[in-house]
Amino acid sequence: MPASNEAAVPSRPPATEADAPAVPARRRGLGERLGESKYPLISLLAIGAMLLLWAFVTMVLGVSARVLPSPPEFFAQLHKLLENGYAGQPLRVHIGWSLLRAMTGFTLGVALAIPVGLLMGYSRAINAALQPIFGFFRPIPPIAFIPLMIMWFGIGELSKILLIFAASFNYTVLNSAAGMRSVPVQLVRAGVNLGLTRRQLFTDVMLPAAMPSILTGVKTSAAVSWAILVAAELIAAQAGVGFIIMDAGTFFRISDVFIGIIIVGAIGLVIELLISRIERRLLHWQGKG
Amino acid sequence: MGTIVLEGVTKIYPATVRDASDVTAVENVDFKISDCEIVCLVGPSGCGKSTVLNMIAGFEQPSAGRITVGSTPVSGAGPDRMVVFQSPALFGWMTVYENIVFGPKKQGVPRARYQAEAKRFIEAVGLGDFASNYPYQLSGGMRQRVQIARALVNRPEVLLMDEPFGALDFQTRLLMQELLLKVWSEFRPTIMFITHDVDEAIFLGDRVYVMSRRPGRLKEQVDVPFPKPRSMSMLTDPAFISLKERVLQSIKEELGETT
Repeated sequence: MPASNEAAVPSRPPATEADAPAVPARRRGLGERLGESKYPLISLLAIGAMLLLWAFVTMVLGVSARVLPSPPEFFAQLHKLLENGYAGQPLRVHIGWSLLRAMTGFTLGVALAIPVGLLMGYSRAINAALQPIFGFFRPIPPIAFIPLMIMWFGIGELSKILLIFAASFNYTVLNSAAGMRSVPVQLVRAGVNLGLTRRQLFTDVMLPAAMPSILTGVKTSAAVSWAILVAAELIAAQAGVGFIIMDAGTFFRISDVFIGIIIVGAIGLVIELLISRIERRLLHWQGKG
Repeated sequence: MGTIVLEGVTKIYPATVRDASDVTAVENVDFKISDCEIVCLVGPSGCGKSTVLNMIAGFEQPSAGRITVGSTPVSGAGPDRMVVFQSPALFGWMTVYENIVFGPKKQGVPRARYQAEAKRFIEAVGLGDFASNYPYQLSGGMRQRVQIARALVNRPEVLLMDEPFGALDFQTRLLMQELLLKVWSEFRPTIMFITHDVDEAIFLGDRVYVMSRRPGRLKEQVDVPFPKPRSMSMLTDPAFISLKERVLQSIKEELGETT
């Protein structure tokens, strides 16, 4: 903990004019001149390089369009899909179905996992009862349950949503329990000292203190939900992004396969960005210190 | 009002997986801290100083003996005995102001009243400009100021301080010691202050209690005859030095075999 003086951390020393001339003028490199803005630039350049490599491999080296479509072929097909949809349904319907399934399973899973996890972290008895069960199922890849789910609940929506629910539950419950357990004793004692009731202690001290860990779980659950959804749709679905990938693969429509993959990736990215943003807003108080 | 009385207080921790037999942390401690007095508790590490504090605070129950604060026996934690922890146990998601008013607010004190009180204590600990900052934006010394204000706003009869300045650098610690004496002269709480730092103990204390090594017993009481207000110049006074020698000698005897 830095405590060398009584000055507040946020008030940075003002950049004085006097600082600059002390260093003899010299040519500053490009990186230095760009400052912080060079990092997004590097990212953009890397993406650009990848696209160029793609164009080079397909258009110059002449890799067959049956293996990897060239950029023009890809974008032409994307345009076609956006206009005509896939398998008789517009793309947004496919995406909508996928998001609906993922969101339903994820939301239900997280909504149940947070209270259960908090209780596990709060009470050692509850933890002792539930931990072995969840601990056993956690390392099993959720995909392993797909055949079972289909046998029990058919190939309809229920089996997919249940699968996502279970996966999402599993990760958030673990982190919520861990978050609750790791609330510092001092913090709880500070609350007790202030005369808080048990209920106030739970809602006003322990829950916010456990929040960083809970949100880590929610973030993992979101990523896992999306991944499981695609796997579930690969096997049995009439619509959805996973369905597009599987169906297009069956009929060697390689461009469509890639389009499906890219949609999955793009949506996954958006989900992650969205949750990171919520996280930053909720946990701003963690700061850098 | 804020008199603390310990009679035959003993704390025994039952055997656990790690400790095969029962551990006696504190044994048969009797002492009295008078109203408005500052008493510093020193002793070798692990001698049960913090256990004594935790029992007075009501976080832990004595295995035997009685603890009375004011005229009531201690039966649990409460805002009449506020603790200032070594690691600043602030609520990180609350601003300085929110941390300070949290207790009274939850107790149902009317807003107008706790608002005015909070303002007063924020000023008293010199954090006027930082009321809306978050703890992570503050230095270690400032975090301890918040803890002190958060404790005082509850108008405790007793302030229990568990090595509150132990993690601060030397200069900040001196500033905080002066601040504490200033705050004390304004609000007059009874203070029990745990420290490893003998200078700190003598500078702050009306009396210094030395505890023996585990099982902790009260070994010696040293009166500090310097009047308040005190200033830093006291630290070089020959009378101060000889008191310091006496306390150090007493602690050293306890370190003898174990280190």
